Amino acid sequence: MQLYDPTSSGPERSLARAAALASPDGKTIGILENGKLNAPEMLQELADLFVSRNGCIIRAVYSKSNASAPAPAETLAKAAQEVDFLITGLGD
Amino acid sequence: MPFDSHRIHDVPDDLLAAIDYCYEQGWTDGLPVIPPVLDRVHATLAYEGRPPEAVIATHPATGLQLTLHAAAVNAVMAGCLPEYFPVLVAAFEAMDKPGFNFHGSTASTGGSAPLLIVSGPYADAIGMNADVNLFGPGNRANATIGRATRLILRNVFQMIPGISDKSTQGNPGKYSFCIAERARGNPWPLLCQQQDYPDGVSSVTVFAGGGFCNIENHGGNTPEQILGSVADAMANYGCITLGQSVVVLAPEHMRIVAVAGWTRQDSQQFLFSSAKRSVEGMQAVGKYRDVEYDKQHGAEAHALAEAGYVHRGLTPDDILITMGGGDAGGHSCFIPSWSRGRGSIMQHKPIGVCIDCA
Repeated sequence: MQLYDPTSSGPERSLARAAALASPDGKTIGILENGKLNAPEMLQELADLFVSRNGCIIRAVYSKSNASAPAPAETLAKAAQEVDFLITGLGD
Repeated sequence: MPFDSHRIHDVPDDLLAAIDYCYEQGWTDGLPVIPPVLDRVHATLAYEGRPPEAVIATHPATGLQLTLHAAAVNAVMAGCLPEYFPVLVAAFEAMDKPGFNFHGSTASTGGSAPLLIVSGPYADAIGMNADVNLFGPGNRANATIGRATRLILRNVFQMIPGISDKSTQGNPGKYSFCIAERARGNPWPLLCQQQDYPDGVSSVTVFAGGGFCNIENHGGNTPEQILGSVADAMANYGCITLGQSVVVLAPEHMRIVAVAGWTRQDSQQFLFSSAKRSVEGMQAVGKYRDVEYDKQHGAEAHALAEAGYVHRGLTPDDILITMGGGDAGGHSCFIPSWSRGRGSIMQHKPIGVCIDCA
């Protein structure tokens, strides 16, 4: 008996993670806030820890209009130009 | 990586062993599936005019694509007959619209499931149930089209429970959540007509539904009494958000509303006006947020939005009302939107035709 495979049959995408920073020391931080309750407070608190412990600089806060949808490509492209790393999370 | 729509697994020529093989591959929703043998998949694809490689939906985060071929394989596994396939295809074309956000509504702790509402003559043509036991069990088309939707989310888009589907408590509708709109005795225009499709064209509406709330009222004899019960369910503290709503009126309830001359629009306006909670009440249960109140009462507020209250939805049009179920019983239902708001907006598509094609 022969069965077709039910998983995705489209062309595979090449996905790879960005290389990790050697150190966060002195880097610029972006905050990607998703609009959920408590998210801005939680993310700001975390960013403040990087500032006090690693001498980081908070350069930008980006917002998503929909917490559950991927960030718009233009938001990510802008962040890539402006900051060394992004902090994001759910918040609740 | 070359495109490959024909990956084939050779399994022993034993049906039960093939079913077990599907389990071992992780291809099921927990229930046995029909092994997707080649000829059944080909018969299903015969109901679609486009090539099997045509992509009808794409996962916005992973880029995984749903081809017609993969959709047909999963339809067979769910138990669909070939003639059900155009409904499934239209459903995913609707779910692929960005506003539906099928990734978020499937992955979320909120646990919604895509509710499919099939409207128009195609529902009868394939033997769908719009009558007694509307939400099941008992009808092959309803059950298997809904099930195929879930299998595609699982197998094609890899929305795996516990991994990429993080629903806190799940939802029985995640097995299957598909109904037909009842045309028989329906005093209002069908949804496909309301959606302005040409005469004879059926549609499927998709809605990320958070669950199922039964609305019992055997004593009410006026639209205000019947719809007042519905509004109360819509505004319960566990459900109220700015999100959309689906209300399926039982024929008994619909008769009371329609005999009094109420239209769908009248009923939507009544429900929007009535399904509300005071700001103080929302604060008391910890659900009040300024940003949501301002969105509902800001410059673009609907005229029926009452100061000091949080209504369900932003406008009366956010409440889809239709009719379904058996003749007997004062049991309607309300289905809330996914989680806390407007992360998914319901969409619709015509079945088996392309309205905008040249």
